[in-house]
Amino acid sequence: MAEALISDEAFIKGCAAIGAGLAVGLAGIGAGAGESGIGAAAVGAIAEDRGFLGLGLLFTVIPETIVIFGLVISFILMFAF
Amino acid sequence: MFKPAKMAKVTLVGPKDYLEQVSKTLHKLNLMHIEDPVEEDYFKIGEPLKKASTISRTLVQLRSLLSYLKLEPETYDAKRRYKAEEIAAQLDKKLEQYREEIEAKIEEIRVLTERNRVLEDEIKVIEPLKELGIPPKLLRGYIAIKCFVGMLKADPTERLKEITDQFEIFLKEVKGGYLAAVFVKVEYSDDFLIALQEHGFSELAVPEIEDYDVRLSEINSEIESNEAKIKSLEEELEEIKAREAEVMVAIEEYLSMEMDRSELPLKTLVSKYAFVLTGYVPEKKVNELKSVVESQTNGRVAVDIVEGKSESESPTLLENPKGIRNFELFTNLFSIPKYKEFDPTPIMAVFFPIFFGMMLGDIGYGLLITVLSLYLKRIFKTEGWQGLLNIALYSGIVSIIFGFIYGEFFGPFTVPGYKPPEIHFIGVALQSIYEFNHGHPLFDRVEEMGVKVLLFTVLVIGMFKILWGFAIGFRNVYVEHGLKAAILEKASWFIGVLGMALLILGFAYNVNVFYHLGEEYPILGQVFQAVGLGAEVGENIPPLPLPGIAEGWEAGVNNFYKIAVPLIVIWFILFLMEEIPKMGAMGVVMAVEILTWFGQILSYARLLAIGLSSVYIAFVVNYVVPKLMHTFIPIPIVAGVVAAVLMVVAHGVNLLLGILDPGLQSLRLHYVEFFTKFFEGGGRVFTPFGRKKKFIEEE
Repeated sequence: MAEALISDEAFIKGCAAIGAGLAVGLAGIGAGAGESGIGAAAVGAIAEDRGFLGLGLLFTVIPETIVIFGLVISFILMFAF
Repeated sequence: MFKPAKMAKVTLVGPKDYLEQVSKTLHKLNLMHIEDPVEEDYFKIGEPLKKASTISRTLVQLRSLLSYLKLEPETYDAKRRYKAEEIAAQLDKKLEQYREEIEAKIEEIRVLTERNRVLEDEIKVIEPLKELGIPPKLLRGYIAIKCFVGMLKADPTERLKEITDQFEIFLKEVKGGYLAAVFVKVEYSDDFLIALQEHGFSELAVPEIEDYDVRLSEINSEIESNEAKIKSLEEELEEIKAREAEVMVAIEEYLSMEMDRSELPLKTLVSKYAFVLTGYVPEKKVNELKSVVESQTNGRVAVDIVEGKSESESPTLLENPKGIRNFELFTNLFSIPKYKEFDPTPIMAVFFPIFFGMMLGDIGYGLLITVLSLYLKRIFKTEGWQGLLNIALYSGIVSIIFGFIYGEFFGPFTVPGYKPPEIHFIGVALQSIYEFNHGHPLFDRVEEMGVKVLLFTVLVIGMFKILWGFAIGFRNVYVEHGLKAAILEKASWFIGVLGMALLILGFAYNVNVFYHLGEEYPILGQVFQAVGLGAEVGENIPPLPLPGIAEGWEAGVNNFYKIAVPLIVIWFILFLMEEIPKMGAMGVVMAVEILTWFGQILSYARLLAIGLSSVYIAFVVNYVVPKLMHTFIPIPIVAGVVAAVLMVVAHGVNLLLGILDPGLQSLRLHYVEFFTKFFEGGGRVFTPFGRKKKFIEEE
C-alpha cells in the first residue's frame, strides 16, 4: 500500500525536511536553555557594574553557536539529498 | 593605528611655590597622565590648595541650581565661548546674583508648596466633618462632657451601652467605615476611649473654625493664589534660565577647572620646599610639555624623561584616524588593550560594517538606518552617541550596497516559484532595475545555489579571520614573552587550523564544490580556473583518501591534502612540545581542542543564517499580508489600506530585529571568534590631567 502512495525519493525528502526542522528546533531549545542561566547571571553582574556590559553580552551569546551548528546540519540535509 | 600611542614617562621637579603655576599649565595642556604617588620618608602626598574647599562648596551649590533648572552641561549647546578671565572677573558678582535671584525664588517656591500641603491636609480633616453635619463649635469647648470625633471601622453603639446609656452618638456611614461623634460625661471618657479603640477608632482633630464652608472657600482661594504665585515664580526662573544659561554652564566649567587644579597636590609628592610629579605623556608631545612648563616657570621646574623598563605599566591611549576612532567604543567595551598589545580597532572598523551589511543586506532597511542615524546625530550630540550613530551610519551604507548585490528592497523580489509582482509590492520595478543582469540580482541568497555559495564564502571568511587572529596573537606573545612561547602558543595553532582548513578544502575539491560554484558563477569559475581548481574530479573519487579504508585512495589525493598532512604533523609535534611538559601524558587529550576552532569557523555561518531569517520574514510579510487582506476584506481600497498599515508595522518590527541581531552577532563574531585569539586586555586608560573645554577658551 505504502509504495503506491509515495515514492522512495519523496519519502527520503520528507524525512530530511523533518530532520532539518528538528536540527534547528532542538538546537534552539538547547541554546535557549543555556542562555537563560548565563543571561540571568550577566544581568546581575551588569547591575553591580555597568562596565561588565560588553563581557556579559558576549557570554550570553556564546551558546548561540549551537543553533548555527543545527542550521548547518539542516542545510546539509536539505541540499545534499 | 594598530598600536596604542607610544608613551614617555616624565617627572616634574621644582620648588613648591611653583606648584600652582605648574598645575595651571598642565591643566591647560591636557597632555599628562599623572600617576598616584607612593609616600616616602621625606616626600609626603600634598594637600589641596587652600581655595579648594571654597570652590567645592560653591560648585555644589551651583550644580544644585543647575539641576533644579534642568540644565545639563554635558548636553547643553552653547552659542558662544567665554574667556577664562571674563568669567573670573564676574564670578563673585554672578554667584551672588544667582544666590539672590534663583536660590531665593526656589526657596519661596518650596515654602509655598509646603503651605499648600498643610492646607490640603486641613481639607482632608474638614471635609468628613462637614459630612457629619454638626457645626464645629458644637464639637469642642465642653467642660463636663467629652466629645470623641473620628473614624470607626464598625458601629460601637452596643458596646458603648454596656458602659452606660447616658451618651449620644452621631453616626454616618462612609466609604471604609463610619464617621462618628460621641458625646459622653467626662467620667466615662477613659472607658469609652478603650471601647472605641476596639472598633478601630482614629481621631480627627476638630479645627478652630466657625463654619466649614467659609473655611473651605478660604483654603481653596489661598491654595489657588499660592499656585498662581508658584507659577509666576517658575516663569521668572525660566526667564532667568534663558538669560543666564550660557554663563551658568561656563561658570560651572570654570569652577570645575579650578577644582581640578587645586586638587593636583593630592597627586604630588612634596617635601618642605620641593615637589615631584610623575606621569606619562605621549612621546610626540614630550618636547611641547617640556618647553611650555620650563618657559612658564622660568626654568625653575625641571621636566625629565625617565628611561628604563617601566614601559609595561604605561597607560593606553588608542590612536586611530577619525572615522575608525568611532569603533574604539567596541574595543573598549571588550577590554582596554594593554600598552604593548595590538589595537584591533581598525580591523573591527572594516569588518563590523561588512558583517552587518552581509547579514542585513537590504536597500530599504539600509536606507532607513542611514537616514535615521543621520537624523539622530543632530539630536544626540554627546561623544558616545555620536560614535555609536556613526557606526550605525557606516553599517547602514554597507547594508545598502549588499542590498543591491542581493537584490532586496524591504524583502526579495525573486523567490523561485513565484512571480515578482506576486511577492513584492514593487517587484516589477525592481526587476527592471536589474535588466542588465537578465532581471536577476547579482547574487541571489533566497535560491538554493545562492545559499550554498554564500555558506561557502562565509566559511572561507571564517577560516581567514581565525588564522588572522592567531597571527596577531603570535605577534602579541612574541613581544611579551619571546619567540619560543609565541611559536608554541600561537603558531602551532595557526599551523593546525590552516592544515584543517586545507583538509576541508581538499574534501570540497573532491566532491566538486569548486566545479559547481564555477559553473553557477562564471566570474568565480574563472578565478578557480586560474588557480587550478576548475577541473571536474568525477564520481568515483574517494572524498577522503584514507589508505586501507577507501578503495583506490591514491586517486583522491589532491594538492590540498598534500599540504595539509605535513602541516597537521608539524602542529601535532609543536602541540605535544607545549602540552606534555605542562600536563604530562594526559596532555595529548587536549588535541581535541582543534575541534573548537573548527566549531568557530562554522560559527561564521551565522553571517548567512541571521540574514536569511530576516529575508524570509520580509518575504512572508510581502506575500501573505496583501493576499490575506484581500481575502478577508471585500472592499479593495480598505483592504489595501489595512494591508499597507500591517506591512509598515511588520517591516518596522523586522527592521528592529534586523538592527539588533546583526549588530550583536557581528560584535560577537569579533569578540568570541576573533579577539580571543590574541586579546588579553586589562590595560589602564590614559586620562590626562585637564579637561575638554566646552564653554571656556584659554589663551
